[in-house]
Amino acid sequence: MKLCEFLRPASLSAARDNLRELGTKGMILAGGTALHFMQDHTPVTAVDITRLGLSYIRPDGNFYRIGATTPLSDIQRYRAPRWAMHEICRRISTHQIRNVSTIGGNICRVFPWADLPVVLLAMNARMVVYSDHENEYSADEYFATQPAKRFLDGNILTSVKVPALQAHHGFGSVKVSRTTAAFSMVTIAAVLELDGSIIQSARIAAGSAIPFPRRLPNVEAALVGKEAVSEVFKEASTKAARDVPWRSCEGQSPEYSQHLAEVSILDALERAATFAHGRAE
Amino acid sequence: MSDNPTANFKQVHHSVTKIDAKQLALGKDSYVGDLAPREALIVKMLWSPHPHARITSINVSKAEKMPGVKAVLWHGNVPRNIHCTAGQGYPEPSPYDTFIFDTKVRHVGDRVAAVAAETAEQAEAALKKITVKYELLEPVFTIDEAMAEDAPIIHDEPEAYVPIPIPYDPKKNLVAMVGCEAGDFDQGMQDADFTFDDTYETPYAQHCPIEPYTSLAHVDSAGRIVITTSTQVPFHCRRIVAQALGLPVQKIRVIKPRIGGGFGSKQEILLEDIVALVALRTGRPAFWQFTREENFITGRTRHPIRVRLRAGIKKDGTITAIGMDCWNNTGAYGGHGLTVVSCCGSKVLPLYRCDNIHFDGKVLYTNLPVGGAYRGFGATQAFFAMESTIDKMADAIGMDPLEFRRQNHIQSGDSSPIFAALGEGKEGTPMTIDSCALDDCIAKGAEAIGWDKRTDWRDKTGRYRRGIGMACLMQGSSIPHIDMGGASIKINEDGSFNLLVGATDLGTGSDTVLAQIAAEELATTTDKMIVYSSDTDMTPFDVGAYASSTTYLSGEASRKAAADAKRQILKTGAEILGLPVDQVQCVASHVQNTDGSQKVSYGDIACYALYSKNQYQIIGTGSHFTEKSPPPFAAHYAEIEVDTWTGLIRVLQYVSTIDCGTAINPALCEGQTEGGTLNGISYALTEQYLFTNGRMTNPSFAEYHIFSMRDKPPIKAILVPSYEHSGPFGAKSVSEICINGPAPVFANAIYNATGARLYEFPFMPEKVLKAIQAVKA
Repeated sequence: MKLCEFLRPASLSAARDNLRELGTKGMILAGGTALHFMQDHTPVTAVDITRLGLSYIRPDGNFYRIGATTPLSDIQRYRAPRWAMHEICRRISTHQIRNVSTIGGNICRVFPWADLPVVLLAMNARMVVYSDHENEYSADEYFATQPAKRFLDGNILTSVKVPALQAHHGFGSVKVSRTTAAFSMVTIAAVLELDGSIIQSARIAAGSAIPFPRRLPNVEAALVGKEAVSEVFKEASTKAARDVPWRSCEGQSPEYSQHLAEVSILDALERAATFAHGRAE
Repeated sequence: MSDNPTANFKQVHHSVTKIDAKQLALGKDSYVGDLAPREALIVKMLWSPHPHARITSINVSKAEKMPGVKAVLWHGNVPRNIHCTAGQGYPEPSPYDTFIFDTKVRHVGDRVAAVAAETAEQAEAALKKITVKYELLEPVFTIDEAMAEDAPIIHDEPEAYVPIPIPYDPKKNLVAMVGCEAGDFDQGMQDADFTFDDTYETPYAQHCPIEPYTSLAHVDSAGRIVITTSTQVPFHCRRIVAQALGLPVQKIRVIKPRIGGGFGSKQEILLEDIVALVALRTGRPAFWQFTREENFITGRTRHPIRVRLRAGIKKDGTITAIGMDCWNNTGAYGGHGLTVVSCCGSKVLPLYRCDNIHFDGKVLYTNLPVGGAYRGFGATQAFFAMESTIDKMADAIGMDPLEFRRQNHIQSGDSSPIFAALGEGKEGTPMTIDSCALDDCIAKGAEAIGWDKRTDWRDKTGRYRRGIGMACLMQGSSIPHIDMGGASIKINEDGSFNLLVGATDLGTGSDTVLAQIAAEELATTTDKMIVYSSDTDMTPFDVGAYASSTTYLSGEASRKAAADAKRQILKTGAEILGLPVDQVQCVASHVQNTDGSQKVSYGDIACYALYSKNQYQIIGTGSHFTEKSPPPFAAHYAEIEVDTWTGLIRVLQYVSTIDCGTAINPALCEGQTEGGTLNGISYALTEQYLFTNGRMTNPSFAEYHIFSMRDKPPIKAILVPSYEHSGPFGAKSVSEICINGPAPVFANAIYNATGARLYEFPFMPEKVLKAIQAVKA
């Protein structure tokens, strides 16, 4: 994309109208960092939504609501009881990028290496999309295919609702990368719901080294009803190959990608169990 | 001189602020890109998409008619003068195997045609209108393929030759051969209680300077071409551009402004001939800056080298034989190929005492990216093999590898037959080691890393295992009887000095260092120095910034120039004071008598000489070439943690000691040491060129991973003092040696952690995991 014109609408509805009018010649602009990866030179008009009050993080019932244009650095810095989103945000790219890159930009067009969709899938987050009115989509529905399609007709992501983890919930994530600024070799996120030491439910998601972020149902199935111990985690992690074909990545073989994913699942589950049993905030 | 000669220094051996620090911190116009005028044409190049092909036809007529296009250059409309692009002395020890454009392309990223247009977009649009037909030729991607009996010939042009008397056989893809023997290697192997024979592979890498290759040219009012360029070698650049264009050197002026890093990459003339031609053809300034992708694909790289290392030792730790065979993949063109492989031997083999040494180096063409100069220059590759083998030797006889090194390393007063046998393009120079503080480096590094807590890998259990590794290193300081630097210095009315040097500051701080040296000699202060460097019209000659030469070589030229000026200052000062010259001295910017009761300032001396009596300009000149190449020495250590489930490595701490003689500017020396070490860490752990059919598939920082400051492990740089009597105020070099350490240090640390020995790097986790699994098996 090549930005040729720039609009800064005064309201959400004006932004939606601009986008509808422009059609494929319009593009929502928040942080703008994804532009680097959209290297065709189609001229477009940027519709800037960064001044529409969509940059915030606040408790909202059983959720934390994060405005779509909230920079990743704000999410990294935010602290609240059993808040976990900062863990992955501090691992995304560099400080400079996180200062401008937004949660909405990260998940409106999902690249294979994106980390946030993995975490939001595991967290069972909900995405709020403004059309003529607001619609909520579960993470499973939202990330079922490339979300960019959802915004072709001028719709705008306004916020992300991340469930507040309860006392018996545990969250763990692992991102393996060659350097701190590099894209992930594999990203895993896990949320465990425990009843005592027994796993009541599990949501495990993966990204990178696979074509598109997704949950790992066979791994989840191998956990539910079992005790939250290392042997169970290890056994469950071996099911990753059944869920998705792992692929080569920057010179590493598919076999190694799968192996790395299995070890990372195990590590994420260990962290989730520790979280559920109480961790230092 | 007291026991500690550095104690009396007032300018050198002090961390003076870099003289260009404020300019750079304020973002003043400094770099080539800052200096390009608005009216400059923008140059873009059509690169070969094929690794090996003949151009059967090319049509540029549509491109020439595109909007904004002012020139299209291709092999049909430029001079066909054979030359080499490597700036390294004259005649170059590299083959002349390059034309501005040729009818054949030899790697993906070879030149096909250039467009100069009003804007970058117009130039890029015009490139798309150039139609080229290729006859595809069988490519050669490995040194084994290059050496095969019926290998495709990469350089079949009849003009190719090498301008010095060395073997060159392009029909066999052979760029160069070099070798030497000392003693009786075979006998040494027979006398050994333990022998070793291992083959190591080292990878491609790119220098990744922040500022890519960038050049600007214009034709001045006298009709001369002025090239402002990001180069390490302005004088070589002038000569090579003159060769390529078929012009006299007199027609060309080369200016180097500030540079955003070079690390060897800008020791090559890759853009200057094109911008000069465009400026000549159009009468307009021409500007060309590589993209990052171009930097990777068509810029220069580190030569990948295969090293077979054979060695023998006795049970008491005596090394009876060392044999090193190197095969250097120079890619599509041969620049620096011979000298890099020579340095594999000359900068590495002398480190350990041994009577029976064999060295053999071969350099081969392939259809891959082109090797060039890169910090470390062959020593980096060979030290990986040597220092890995040294650890294996110590392990075989059950000796602490630190003690084994201490027992065998070269000392002050020692020599090595390699010094005389291996030079750069000719025989070397016999040399006796003067300064050597390697023992102190080993001791201080060991203490800093906690060597005494190191345990055998067999005692370690669990998923995460820690290991400590070390390596000893040496390099050189300039190239004896080849490198030359010049300086001049003149006084101004206020006692300030214009110091003109041909030496090239790449961001290293050499302008500051040379100013400190001149100021020390003149007994004045560094802030009195106005340094102007690297302008072929205005400054004396200097070969440029490479071979770890600037402080040692150009520094001595600056000192000599200052000494020459000082003699004149003393003479004039004595005349003013009415005293004999032998009764005055220079102290604190004054000439004074012995007790200081009579004195005259440098400013008054300058005014006297310029305006009052016996009028003349006090100006000193100095040139220097070296008789020896005193090695800096270093001992490196690292503690790492290996995840034995994934093969991932975490560097817990790194200790980088260095004996660089007198540290002229300790802060800058520490900066060089930390920077070089981090450069080496990144090379050892994460940097890799990935190829598909000869095309690099990861030419961006998103996929080619270099360490940033956030990745930097704790690095402790320790400057270990020594005094090199042949260097300016005791200095040796500092810039290259530190990159040589991390690869062997990590290999040895991985072994110490897990028992896994790796013979190639980068140490990607998959590779490490396989090695660990092999140990378990």
